[in-house]
Amino acid sequence: MSAQLDSPPPAAIEPVTPRVRKDRTGAWFLAPAVVWIILFTIFPLLFALYNSFYSFRFGQRNQFVGLDNFGRLFTDPNLRNGLQVTLWFVLVTVTVEMLVGFGLALLLNREMQGKNILRAIMVLPLFATPVAMGYLGITIFFETNGPINDTIRALGGQGIPWLSSPKWAPVSMMILEVWQWTPFVFLVSLAGLQGLPQDVYEAAEVDGASGRQLFRSITMPLMAPTLWLILLLRMIEAFKVFDIPTSLTSGGPGRATEVYSLFTYRTALRFFDHGYAAAQGFLLLFIVMFIVTILYGRISELYE
Amino acid sequence: MRTNSLSPVQKVLLTGLIVIAVAWVLFPFYWAFVNSIKKPADTFRSVWIPWVQFQPTLDHWRQELDTPEIRRALRNSTVISVGAATLSVALGTLAAYALARFRFNRPDNSFFTTWFLSQRVMPPVVVVIPFFLIMRQVRLLDSVWALVLLNATFLLPFPVIILSQMFRELPIELEEASLVDGASRLQAFFRVALPLVVPGLVATWIICMAFSWNEFLFALSLTSNKAIPMPVIIAGAEHTRGVQFWFVGVRTMLTMLPPTIFALLAQRYIIRGLTLGAVKG
Amino acid sequence: MKQSRLLLLLSLLLIGVLALSACGGTTTPADSAGSSDTAASDADSGEATPVGDEGLAASVTTASDLAPPIVAEPCGDDCPYTGQTVTVIVNTAGEKGPISGPIYEVRDEFEAATGATLEIVEVPFAEHFPKLMTDLTTGSGQYDTSIAGAWWLGDLVEGGFILPYDDMYNAEGFPEWDFEDVLPGPRSLLEYGGQKYVVGNDHDGQVMYYRRDLLEDPDHQAAFEAEYGYPLAVPETWAQFRDVAEYFDGKDLNGDGQPDDGLTMHLKVANQGMFHFMSFSAPFVIGPDNPNLYWFDPETMDALVDSPGHVRAMETMIDLVQFGPEAMMAWNLGESWDHFLRGEAALTFTWGDLGALAQEEGSQVRGLTGAAPIPGTTEYYDVTAGEWKQVDGVNRVGNTTGGSWSGVISKDSDAPEATYFLLALMASKPKSSVYAARGWDGVDPGRYSHFLPPNGDASMDDYLAAGWDEQDIQDYSNAYYENFNAELQFPYLRIPGAFEYWTSLDIHLSEAATGQATAEEALQATADEFEQITDRLGRDMQQQSYVSSLGLE
Repeated sequence: MSAQLDSPPPAAIEPVTPRVRKDRTGAWFLAPAVVWIILFTIFPLLFALYNSFYSFRFGQRNQFVGLDNFGRLFTDPNLRNGLQVTLWFVLVTVTVEMLVGFGLALLLNREMQGKNILRAIMVLPLFATPVAMGYLGITIFFETNGPINDTIRALGGQGIPWLSSPKWAPVSMMILEVWQWTPFVFLVSLAGLQGLPQDVYEAAEVDGASGRQLFRSITMPLMAPTLWLILLLRMIEAFKVFDIPTSLTSGGPGRATEVYSLFTYRTALRFFDHGYAAAQGFLLLFIVMFIVTILYGRISELYE
Repeated sequence: MRTNSLSPVQKVLLTGLIVIAVAWVLFPFYWAFVNSIKKPADTFRSVWIPWVQFQPTLDHWRQELDTPEIRRALRNSTVISVGAATLSVALGTLAAYALARFRFNRPDNSFFTTWFLSQRVMPPVVVVIPFFLIMRQVRLLDSVWALVLLNATFLLPFPVIILSQMFRELPIELEEASLVDGASRLQAFFRVALPLVVPGLVATWIICMAFSWNEFLFALSLTSNKAIPMPVIIAGAEHTRGVQFWFVGVRTMLTMLPPTIFALLAQRYIIRGLTLGAVKG
Repeated sequence: MKQSRLLLLLSLLLIGVLALSACGGTTTPADSAGSSDTAASDADSGEATPVGDEGLAASVTTASDLAPPIVAEPCGDDCPYTGQTVTVIVNTAGEKGPISGPIYEVRDEFEAATGATLEIVEVPFAEHFPKLMTDLTTGSGQYDTSIAGAWWLGDLVEGGFILPYDDMYNAEGFPEWDFEDVLPGPRSLLEYGGQKYVVGNDHDGQVMYYRRDLLEDPDHQAAFEAEYGYPLAVPETWAQFRDVAEYFDGKDLNGDGQPDDGLTMHLKVANQGMFHFMSFSAPFVIGPDNPNLYWFDPETMDALVDSPGHVRAMETMIDLVQFGPEAMMAWNLGESWDHFLRGEAALTFTWGDLGALAQEEGSQVRGLTGAAPIPGTTEYYDVTAGEWKQVDGVNRVGNTTGGSWSGVISKDSDAPEATYFLLALMASKPKSSVYAARGWDGVDPGRYSHFLPPNGDASMDDYLAAGWDEQDIQDYSNAYYENFNAELQFPYLRIPGAFEYWTSLDIHLSEAATGQATAEEALQATADEFEQITDRLGRDMQQQSYVSSLGLE
């Protein structure tokens, strides 16, 4: 695969792959980041692992319990609930964010007036502190006379129990998440679209390809690596969602919005059961890394 | 950029769509603003428009801006996010270059990439206590530097992933030419490759900044007084007597201000720089 | 081009904001209203004064009228604690906010009297306990004192994290205050296992609030009696409470032409909804023959919360939900209180803060807010005998549910004496009386000296000066006195892990209230989780704690 120095520039759609180098210089580039991360995370990880073999009382290690904390992972209905809520959350929000974000990017990928300002506006939600958005959500989704229900009623509909119903509360939390992170998908995929080679489109258009054919046979294949990567980054973050459900609904009603991270948070910093919390952390690490590895394998294939 | 012409109907549809998207994005900010100028008693009244429907008040703004803790928190947030973003982009760029230009065996490149990514997977609450112990040991409790270091660590995956895609897109011939001319690897990196990804650097830096700007849990557990940043201040709007929504409004607006200005300043880089993994001709 | 204009605009905005903050600086003296005449003139002119950090629908018109007298003399050259620093950790609420406000207020006096420095660390309410525990379990000693919630006592004392102050109490060199002045209910929260750990400050408990104007309205009285066959009066039992709530539900209660609600509650998960259930269910379980057992069987540490009494209480409470707004399932205190303060609910039961907030600007129920002790029952389920027992009259149970935010001294403190000095200074009678009279500072009354005659020796003038309506404070004072002085008191849970037990109850209560489970299922699940928690923390140790926290030894 590797091109020689004197070879012609790679064809427009041929992905560039890392060159094989035998020299050691690469290690020097990689070393600072690797050392840094090991330095900062090795002790906390070992500490968490050590804790996971103990029961706790008053926030202090009490008794060695072997693998009990890991055993609890499989019998705890509240943990299963947290996993379920989170999986739905990831599935729905990431799907919606990808579809809407990429869709908008496709539509707005053209010359028009005010595009710079438009993009500046679209980037704003990324900077909105999630804790604040949760609190703000309480007033926006306010059921008796908040702005959304007011509008629905003015249009002749019935107010929706956004936060008080176990069916709707997860929807409300997902709406806030989608609001905050769709711009990320939009921006990154718009950037990707703008990087697509124009000559390929021009050639295809000369050949009389329709818009749909262009999309299917040029845009999608070229955008695929970008989209997979966005999906990967969004999924990792979505699995850890914590701030919005915490400040919007505190996990309620009941456990309807008690996402995994909130459950772990309660275990560790409300009930001070650090051992079990550590076990939960490792389970999440395992699940997400499993997914990441599969996805990343897919991305690597696309580059080959 | 393709400039296929649109029919009038399509134009209207597109404009309508843009209006909806902008309204959708801006409404929560408008609502935060409205909350910030409502008297507490008006918080849950169904009123939308100041002066017309309710008498606005600047009291909350005045009170919040008068509070030295808030000004300090804005300063802390700026130091933390700028410091952490810069540090992580600096370290991440090197690693990204390595992953893009060198092939490693045992562990290989994709192992490193997923390992970097895995740093963002562990729920922070699991490692909060050990970090507390470390920072106490090195006397960095209640110091913004502790948060700079930690945020930089957990941000590292972003520059590594985003920038390694970007380096991959660069035609390698330029660097190889400079190597042939006798430049060292380091020189080739700094003189040839790095300048070409500056837009990407800026964009990545901004994303990192946004993440550390909003980071809450570490900030909460590692600060107690003089190092408190804005997200903790925002969470402080929840009292024993419930959430003080008017302060949430003011604090949200204040918190948004600095990164918004950054984003506008660097706005043209955001699109240009984020050509993640896209293939160039 | 447009972009640069936008940037210009934003820069201008930024400059404007900064200028505003500078202007704000110049108006500080009036805002913080250090001098009482400024505030008084504001109040007279009826102008909107800057709103303080003191809670919903509140304003400083009442905040500054009343300042506590100086109690501790400056120490001059002979200071006992020169060079020491006392760091206090408290729920965030700012310099003019509930609980934290008085600490800022007393700072100068304390520093002048002791030579020590007072540092105040504010943390978000929900994060206070974890932060304190992190500090204590790692032995970091960042904080000398925490203004703590009463349910933390089990963990704090049994974990050996705080110091008793028996030796310092009213000893030479410390400000004097009277432990016995605190009413029996809240007094029991200041001790643990026979030693004094908590210095009296705030006194929480729930009472019932009702709209006096509605209950006294002749038309309503006639209509109510025709419908229910007995005269409309302040509810004495939960059954009557239900009738009154049902009667007023759907009627316009504040003259805005919109139908309003019979009652309001705050049932959001993790926002103290379980306290509602505790106050509510007490008379279904506690009675003359069973004054103590609500949570566990002290012999086996088996959970009792799925007893028929608890189940009926939860069923009764959930039945009441239909007379309130559906939205209250997601309401925190603020939203629920706001509903009542806007005149949109006839009844509620909650903490003392509401009575105080009702007096402040923006409230539509000042002078209309009656208060009475929590209603009772006519029968209760005696878990010791395993049967329902009838009561002559009404079975009422007082409660101290809530935080009762008061100071404790960290074992890692290197200035325990100075710390106790601070807490005792704030507990001294002249200070405490003023705190209790003012609504904004969140320190609720609970001492004999806080209550109006004939119950105590508080002065009506103080309360009137603090902005209270005369009839409102009379009701309020009587209601709290009766509540805290009641013969039967709800047994507060103060064992290690109390918060975990309560979280379980809280979540299952919410599930039952939102129809995800029946009352019986919810309480069964709660009891199951109680057993797991007890086993995990160690049944024997939990049992010892439980027995000693109830004083049963």
